[in-house]
Amino acid sequence: MTVVTSKVCVVGDFAVGKTSVIERFVNNQFSDKYLTTVGVKVDTKEIEHKALGISHKLVIWDVAGSDRFGHIELAYLRGANGYIFVADGTRLPTLRAARDLYQQITEEYGSAPCVLLVNKNDLTDQWNVRDERMEELTAHFGNTYRTSAKTGDEVETAMTRLSELIVDNDFRNE
Amino acid sequence: MTRLPPRVIEFLQGEFLASTRPFCFLVDKNYRLIEAWGDGNWCDLGNVNIGADMLERAPYLLGSLDSVPTKLEYLMIGDDVTVHVHAIPDDDGHYVVLLDAQSAHQLLQQKQQSVNELRLLHAQQQKLISRQRELISELVETRSELDHHRREVERSSDNKSRFIAMMSHEFRTPLASIINYADLAAEQDATGNEVQKSIEAIQRSARHLTSLVEAVLDDARLDAGELELQECNFSLYELLDDLAAMMAPLAAEKGLSFATQMDRDVPEILRADKVRLRQILINLLGNAVKYTVEGSVRLTVSYNHGRIVATVSDTGPGISPDDQERVFQAFERGGRKSEQGAGLGLTITLRLAELMGGEISLDSLPGEGCTVSLHVPVQEVVDGYEPSAEVLPTPAEDTVATMPRSILICDDDEDMIALIEHYLHRSGYGLVTTSDSSEAIAKTLKYDPDLVLMDCNIPGISGVDAAMLLRQQGYQKPIVALTASQLSDVEKSAFTSYFRKPAKMQELLLAIKTLTH
Repeated sequence: MTVVTSKVCVVGDFAVGKTSVIERFVNNQFSDKYLTTVGVKVDTKEIEHKALGISHKLVIWDVAGSDRFGHIELAYLRGANGYIFVADGTRLPTLRAARDLYQQITEEYGSAPCVLLVNKNDLTDQWNVRDERMEELTAHFGNTYRTSAKTGDEVETAMTRLSELIVDNDFRNE
Repeated sequence: MTRLPPRVIEFLQGEFLASTRPFCFLVDKNYRLIEAWGDGNWCDLGNVNIGADMLERAPYLLGSLDSVPTKLEYLMIGDDVTVHVHAIPDDDGHYVVLLDAQSAHQLLQQKQQSVNELRLLHAQQQKLISRQRELISELVETRSELDHHRREVERSSDNKSRFIAMMSHEFRTPLASIINYADLAAEQDATGNEVQKSIEAIQRSARHLTSLVEAVLDDARLDAGELELQECNFSLYELLDDLAAMMAPLAAEKGLSFATQMDRDVPEILRADKVRLRQILINLLGNAVKYTVEGSVRLTVSYNHGRIVATVSDTGPGISPDDQERVFQAFERGGRKSEQGAGLGLTITLRLAELMGGEISLDSLPGEGCTVSLHVPVQEVVDGYEPSAEVLPTPAEDTVATMPRSILICDDDEDMIALIEHYLHRSGYGLVTTSDSSEAIAKTLKYDPDLVLMDCNIPGISGVDAAMLLRQQGYQKPIVALTASQLSDVEKSAFTSYFRKPAKMQELLLAIKTLTH
């Protein structure tokens, strides 16, 4: 099985659950305690695409949430092969932040495979995103998932989909 | 600016190297290790061999080596290991320098944690404020609804007061007439002609009282949603003939001309609630005749796409625009207070029309008469209708007992006993009477009559309880309730049959004969 490696960056507003989503994906763990990420946290995880004979190693850069002005340190994103945008389904402004980040990144580095995770799907009583809005987001980002880092809902699916997109984009023609 | 003294530079370099523990290595373009300097154990890069794949050991190098020197701050590359990464391009590849940033990272993390928690609190506060605004808005809306309901209740209470005042007057008038004419007829020196006129006056007042009660009950049933439509197939032609036969004499009495006209395309046989349609048209025609002093009253009927349009027009005084809305409200007569009636006729008419899925419109100007149009949906019936042959049994044949039968009558109203006694006696029944329910039970068990006719609302044991006791004592013959009260289904089940006062005597006699023969 061929091993290929890609850099993916996780971006989004502060406290949307970026680190929790990655912790669920990489270590299958979750903690309710909020711990701000400063700088960037680097993890790795391999996804196998048996049909393609490819083991895809993702080097995941969990980038600190955007500051109060909506900025992130773009230097961290250099050389990224794909992006995981994360928003919080209970805080509508974080959806706007995800769209703004998408625009900033695309302008700086061009387009790359990406998925949008609208997280905290377990907080049903506080959920604020209507189905029509989800459809709009899907039209914008292409692949949108209602995830819960707490329960694990859709996390694996979303990451696998991103891996497929990157493999298709970067390695299928090689 | 002069250079710092060498001793100071040397000291600062020592401090920097001690706190950042630099580890430096050189990799080629394939991330293979060419050479390494310093201790890499603290950053998990101890014991790396020349030629090793550094991407395996330091995956964060992927995408981080550029053609210009780059600096990436605060990379968390392991538990409690945070580094600053400097990548410096060279002819052979890249020098990578890792500096220990764990202490600075911890301090910065604590500061950022506080800032972000404050931002989260602020966001939650904004949400709460927004929710508070929503709640206030809901509160204002609820208050507005409550005000609306309060006004409705006040209006209802006002209507009730007006109803009581109206009924007090409306009921007293025919009641006074009945009492006074009855007294007159009872006077010893009353002539046969005076007695006859008194009886006619009593009959008129009684009929008027009945219509008042029916109107009030209809209104109450509509309020309670208990009035259900009973559809049947009927001939509209027959209905119009019937209405003309009823209204023409009333119009003639006042010197008014009366005419009905039906378009050719009106289907002869329709399906709808005939009784309620008749009631609506009687009300509209009755009002037209009542309020028209001279001229004519006319009823025209047309048919349009499954709806009949019945228009009643008169040459009466008309109704001012201000009064036109009010005439359809309960207890209103559009300013014509001198007229008799409960003021419910048009209200009920409108509500019945709406119940039938129809509507009523009014077109009038003072002094120019009035035109009221009823639009109501009906179904056209092509076949399946047979003219109703209303065969009413002749009293002499169908109500007379043809074999010896005895009836026990229990009623606390002596006049009612006397009245029923009169009719039953005339029909050939043997009678036992009592005004006391306990006595009724005793006499029933003693004489075993063929039927018990029981009032319900009587002093002592109620009629319902008396009927149940009789059943418990083994009396199995019919017990018929004759009462002014509304009985529940459970109460009705105590009786074989049930009649509301004022019952039609003919129907009561027929039922009694059926049950005893």
